[in-house]
Amino acid sequence: MYPFGDLPGNLAAFCGVLRREYGFRLGPGEINDAARVLQRIDLTDQQHVRDAWRTILSSSRETAIAFDRAFDAFFFPGPSGSPQERQPRTERAVSKSDAPTSAERRLAEQGPHTADDADDDDTGRGAPSDEMADDEPSAEEPTARWERARYSALDVEGVEPLDVRPVSPAWRDAARALVRRLQLGLSRRWQSAPRGRRFDLRRTWRASLQTGGEAVTARWLRRVHRSPRIVVLIDGSRSMIGTQGPALDLAVALAGVTRRVEVFAFSTALTSLTLHARRAGSGRLVKVFLNRNTWGGGTSIGASLRTFLQRHGERHVTRETLVLIVSDGLDVGEPEVLRDAMREIRRRAAGITWLNPLLETPGYEPSSRGMVAARPHITTFAAVSDPEGLARLARIVRLRR
Amino acid sequence: MTSAADIRTRFRERGFVVDDAFATSLEIMLALQKPLLIEGPAGVGKTESGKVLAEVLEARLIRLQCYEGLDAMAALYEWNYPRQMLHARLSESTGATIAQREAEIFSEPYLLRRPLLEALTEDRSPVLLIDEVDRADEAFEAYLLEVLAEWQVTIPELGTIRARHRPHVILTSNRTRELSDALRRRCLYLWLPYPSLEQEVEILRARVPGLSERLADRIAHLMQVLRGLPLQKAPGVAESLDWAMALMSLHREHLDARTLEQTLGCVLKVHEDRSIVVEHRAALAPYLADAPAASEGGGYGLATDFGVGTVLPGR
Repeated sequence: MYPFGDLPGNLAAFCGVLRREYGFRLGPGEINDAARVLQRIDLTDQQHVRDAWRTILSSSRETAIAFDRAFDAFFFPGPSGSPQERQPRTERAVSKSDAPTSAERRLAEQGPHTADDADDDDTGRGAPSDEMADDEPSAEEPTARWERARYSALDVEGVEPLDVRPVSPAWRDAARALVRRLQLGLSRRWQSAPRGRRFDLRRTWRASLQTGGEAVTARWLRRVHRSPRIVVLIDGSRSMIGTQGPALDLAVALAGVTRRVEVFAFSTALTSLTLHARRAGSGRLVKVFLNRNTWGGGTSIGASLRTFLQRHGERHVTRETLVLIVSDGLDVGEPEVLRDAMREIRRRAAGITWLNPLLETPGYEPSSRGMVAARPHITTFAAVSDPEGLARLARIVRLRR
Repeated sequence: MTSAADIRTRFRERGFVVDDAFATSLEIMLALQKPLLIEGPAGVGKTESGKVLAEVLEARLIRLQCYEGLDAMAALYEWNYPRQMLHARLSESTGATIAQREAEIFSEPYLLRRPLLEALTEDRSPVLLIDEVDRADEAFEAYLLEVLAEWQVTIPELGTIRARHRPHVILTSNRTRELSDALRRRCLYLWLPYPSLEQEVEILRARVPGLSERLADRIAHLMQVLRGLPLQKAPGVAESLDWAMALMSLHREHLDARTLEQTLGCVLKVHEDRSIVVEHRAALAPYLADAPAASEGGGYGLATDFGVGTVLPGR
């Protein structure tokens, strides 16, 4: 059944699997808590143990979903419903990290439920693939990476990895200029300052103690400047091939200069590239295996934007967000879907910048159905193919305040 | 009062229906004395659970509502400056040394306790509800860390104040912003989803006395359908309770298309969502009472087209 005969051994092995295969961050404190709680709960009630450990070991919705999957895979590896004595023994999952464990193999064989994150979010199984696909990639061998990619996104066999490369200092400077330009006005928070709008009684009073109770130097407060969040949505469809390099560079450059950036790629489905872009932003080459639904597939801009809004909109699209869409606007979906999604983003975000690589082609008119549907809601329309282009964008980008 | 079954019963007595996972999380939170972070969509009862927990434990509820701009002064402590100033002036002529006077004015009587400090200095463990922590600035989380991990507050002028009794802490978040890993690691975690069909019926029956089982069942079914539609603001449990109350006060025993139209405002709070519901009328139709065949043969009696062919009632 389990790799070890005793419960603490199995708990430790299970936590090891969570850490290694599912990217959980677990310290001795969590494992200790999980062991302590066993004294209090009914060990014969599988659901009770599961609920208890989920509370302790998971720390977000994504990890909570992954936890249930890992729990089944580790403790009930056999066909569901068969009694536990009949369950096959979980192999010792503590050997070399590059050898796929039985759990990994099973997940790989299990089929498409992890593959497409476009539709099954509500059933609670579609943990974002980035959650599982990358843990400590730089140290890993390609085979291990491949295994990971394999069970996080199906249909990557034969797909060339996408290189997310570090960018030149010129890109980073331009990205910094853009972030600096995007000032959103003032937050409601007060901050101590030598000169400000509001008298700071507390600090003035505190300082006066050094001058015998006489308030010699006045202290002031001013409002904090709000810095924006940026969401980069990159169209990875076939029609964009050849122009996606600058889009990725742009995303990596932004992720390298600020943490407040989220990066997504889409063609018919949506995948987060935030972590990859951040890693590349800190100067490492990152290889990503992407599903054809995300990279090199057909184009469904409207549906992808709608998925983005439903899944991530609440968290990432706020009044402080600039949404950067890099796409040629050649949408095969219904223009109404795109129009509604754009309107909704416009309503919630501080601005939408649409970067269309075709705009640099002489004589191009943005008259495709997709562009016509999207244009009324775009606040800045431009093309960026090099650092100079990004620096130019920094000068013209507009936000609603 | 610490087993999960016990918690379920006590919560149920107060009209709050919790499932096994929730009860277990509360049990563990009480056993390990760690804060519990509850995330979930709006209107599933995250805040309410803190209030009910305080009632169940017969403890004091201390609530900290987070908002943008919340700072340590409003959440932890503040010195009572006018009073300090007054004392400093009045004690000028007493001949006390500066050090003595300073020690006097930076003592506990001049300290204003804000919710977090108050929770630490209670005589009996209170329930501390830190509501919508995602609305506070990221900087604010740093103040929380010392309180939630060490159960202490450090005041430079006064020293460190340690909790005599650890408060039971519930944090809620609507995920409008990603919380820091540091905060998450100090908390137990629970994702609170929308209730299942059976749970929702149970909640409706528990909270709206006099509601018929049939109507509760219809409302719960419709809510399940509505939450499946691509709405901007999916209705929560609070909305279904409002709706049930509205139907009760209108003395409607049945939900038909007209009543739905009249009372949709209880459920949908965005204008665009109305048109989406109108578009998906067909999905709602099986649960509305005005179909003439509804009373036949026990089931809803409708041949319903789900777009995959015709589903006939089973024999």
